[in-house]
Amino acid sequence: MTRSKVIKVIVKKDLDSFANNLIKDETHEVIGVKAKGEKFVFAPLENADELRLDYDVTILPPKKYFLPQYEKMMGFNLDKPFDVKESDAEKPRIIIGIHPYDIIALQQTDKLYLDSQKDDFYEKRRDNTIIIGVDIQNVSDRSFAASMKTNVTDSGFDLMLTNLGKDYAITVGSEKGKKLLEKYAKTKDATKSDIKKIQKVREDIASLYKKKVKIDKEKWSSVLVANYNHGIWGARSDRCMGCGSCTMVCPTCFCYDVEDEVSLNLKDGTRTRTWDSCLLRDFTKIGSGEVFRDDIKERYRHRFYRKGNYLPERYGFVACVGCGRCGVACLPDIADPCDVLNDLSHFEKSDDTDRFFIKQETKAIEGGTIHVPKAATIRRMEKLTENETLFEIELDDSKPIGHKPGQFVEISIFGIGEAPISVSSAPSESSSFEIVVRKVGNVTSKLFTMEPGDKLGIRGPFGNGFDVKTLEKKHLLFATGGIGMVPTRSLINHVLDKKNRGKFEDVTILYGCKRPCEILFMDEIKKWEKIDNVNCILTVDTCEEEENWDGDVGLITTLFTKIDLDKFDSKNTIAIVVGPPIMYKFVIKSLETMGISEENILVSLERRMKCGVGKCGHCQINGVYVCKEGPVFNYSQIKNLPEAFE
Amino acid sequence: MKLRVAFFDFASCEGCQLQIANLEEEILDLIEIVEVVSFREIMKEHSDEYDIAIIEGSIMRPMDEKRLRDIRSRAKTLIALGACATTGGINKMRNQRSVEDVKEEVYGSDKITKDNEFFNVFQTKAVDEVVPVDYYIHGCPISRDEFKRVITALALGKKPVIPTYPVCVECKKNENVCLFELGKFCLGPITRAGCNAICPTNGSVCEGCRGILKKPQVECVMDILERYNLTYEEMKRRSTMFNMSAFSAKDEMTMVGGSKDE
Repeated sequence: MTRSKVIKVIVKKDLDSFANNLIKDETHEVIGVKAKGEKFVFAPLENADELRLDYDVTILPPKKYFLPQYEKMMGFNLDKPFDVKESDAEKPRIIIGIHPYDIIALQQTDKLYLDSQKDDFYEKRRDNTIIIGVDIQNVSDRSFAASMKTNVTDSGFDLMLTNLGKDYAITVGSEKGKKLLEKYAKTKDATKSDIKKIQKVREDIASLYKKKVKIDKEKWSSVLVANYNHGIWGARSDRCMGCGSCTMVCPTCFCYDVEDEVSLNLKDGTRTRTWDSCLLRDFTKIGSGEVFRDDIKERYRHRFYRKGNYLPERYGFVACVGCGRCGVACLPDIADPCDVLNDLSHFEKSDDTDRFFIKQETKAIEGGTIHVPKAATIRRMEKLTENETLFEIELDDSKPIGHKPGQFVEISIFGIGEAPISVSSAPSESSSFEIVVRKVGNVTSKLFTMEPGDKLGIRGPFGNGFDVKTLEKKHLLFATGGIGMVPTRSLINHVLDKKNRGKFEDVTILYGCKRPCEILFMDEIKKWEKIDNVNCILTVDTCEEEENWDGDVGLITTLFTKIDLDKFDSKNTIAIVVGPPIMYKFVIKSLETMGISEENILVSLERRMKCGVGKCGHCQINGVYVCKEGPVFNYSQIKNLPEAFE
Repeated sequence: MKLRVAFFDFASCEGCQLQIANLEEEILDLIEIVEVVSFREIMKEHSDEYDIAIIEGSIMRPMDEKRLRDIRSRAKTLIALGACATTGGINKMRNQRSVEDVKEEVYGSDKITKDNEFFNVFQTKAVDEVVPVDYYIHGCPISRDEFKRVITALALGKKPVIPTYPVCVECKKNENVCLFELGKFCLGPITRAGCNAICPTNGSVCEGCRGILKKPQVECVMDILERYNLTYEEMKRRSTMFNMSAFSAKDEMTMVGGSKDE
């Protein structure tokens, strides 16, 4: 509370000297709010005269000093790919003039970026930056911060300035702030009347907001959940260009993309991350070209749900601070959450606010950075089919990667980029593991040109794999389509391993491919069949006569009729379904007809897992991060996620 | 083996190739990673054997078409370089008038134009209206950085990434004051990014030189025009500079200059 904090008072000209003293000290960079035309921006200060503490709102939030537009994550040399150069250390910064709503936005960013899987770049900047806030003096027309209770804050700053007319009050928020004042400023203690004045200034500001949200922010989640299929999303998105401006100017939009760039000498390169936007079509595009939120309506809606439902359920805050920047930036003026929520204010509310979300603990990433890949070497390559090749990979530190069946790794090739690939071998003590790759995107195409002995990078394993403990003493029914066999094989080989076989009951493996030549691991399937109480049934969609196929022909769902239902213990069976998106709906229907309850169905879903640690935003299915809560899900958990199977 | 690269110019100012010539010292890096076998602006040697053909300029005459088809048949990869090649560019403005009319105005009724294949022009075409294009390097002129990105990607065996989102994204990252708010008419919201919003950042409106985006929502554009007291006619007029084919007779906007898989 304000009362427990030390409060100082400084006369205006001494505040200028304070700023100038900070600027003169070259051990840090001083950023402040300056005019840009009729607008305002955060920019390096050369003189206290430039400082405009009376501003209403800046074009971009101060986020750019913590998560810059373009951030060089690492430098690399293609001849020595794992001689990774970390980015140069930046000068410490002091930012003067951050409004309370932007301070609160930074505190929200902390929750995402400094969670159990810390972003080291962000953390470094956060530690290295002193924040001097300022209480709002002029309210932007578009701002509704008072409705969001973000027009004042009593935390998140080192110092907070309040304009009292002749003087400025300075509330000390941290030890760092206190020291800064002692070293650079001439202040005196605030009197009781000064403290009263501060309260008055803050109350007066709250009354100046013309824009108000009719729904309390605590209720946003319940209104949004109840109105997912409301006509408002289509009506408003008809006027949306999908330009992404609303997210670019947002202090609580944290999504990013990562790109590798190589200089013209083809030697040095950088891995750079840049702001990305869920409004852009390619945001959800995966290597094979599939786009998961193709319709502008889905992208438009996603932004509001992320702010008002998905992040609130996950972190406990509405990810909108009411700054109004999106309303200013949106040319057709459809992006303002205040307008949207007010349009929904007289509609239904729902108590089922966590409907689009799965609560789950995430394990911390051990040992250092989440971004720098570990060096690894390709040990063996084996062509499995025309399109798929198996790679055996060994980490250069000779340690096992320690994965669970169903988890994935990010394969990293400097100069090309990263791609999420499922681990196909069973967990083991061995220092090597296997992946199977289909040539679809840049990284996978490059892999096909590589040879045993070549280096690549590994991040991970990531995600939620199969929890094998819960499969013990159960009958297992695998329904696998196409390259869904890649992660499935990891689990099958674990289950069928002599050491483990006794823990599980009967195993039935249904496997469907388009054509016989696309069947993966035929040799292994033949071995599996010979094991007691294991039944493998294969089918193909079509085959030519010369292919000598003596198995079934037809979709995978036709195989369910081959299961002897009299002997089938549906109550004690777990079904594991992995395949192309189209397969799930039909297979799950068949499973339900057989009496397998939805809690006993496990699925693995594919999305654009870019960062692997729940930050970049690309793999989201409604409120769920596939890279953290998935890719393996219990069907009952996600069946109500509208974006899961569409 | 280094990739063999050849540059060709059709109707254009050759300014995009000049951008490449202006790489200066970096030209030395360029010729380290690829073998330049033809580049009229900087060398006199020429070879007809190449992997990558880089085409600058629009296609104006039957003789151009023939030459372009021949180049295509020799090249494994064909890149359209700059607005004249990718969208038809400024050259396409003349398609607003008949060929006879344009000839008359430019050359008068001079006899030399008659039965001379150099003057035998048809309606201007972009490169992809004649032959398939593998990659586009957009802009008038092109951005040197983007050229470098495309060439290094191809040399590394990677598909170059050309943005499919509008200039607004880059303009916002540059923290510009939106030109609409200053009462100016900017084509940034419907134009492909990749230029780092160089024009708006320097106070000029975007003229759409990198091509109109796929499926811009016409209703939405109308909305904006109305909000800022601008007219559709004015937008069409402005778009003719680089995007003559963006507006069909039905007044539906379509993407100009872009690969089919975008």
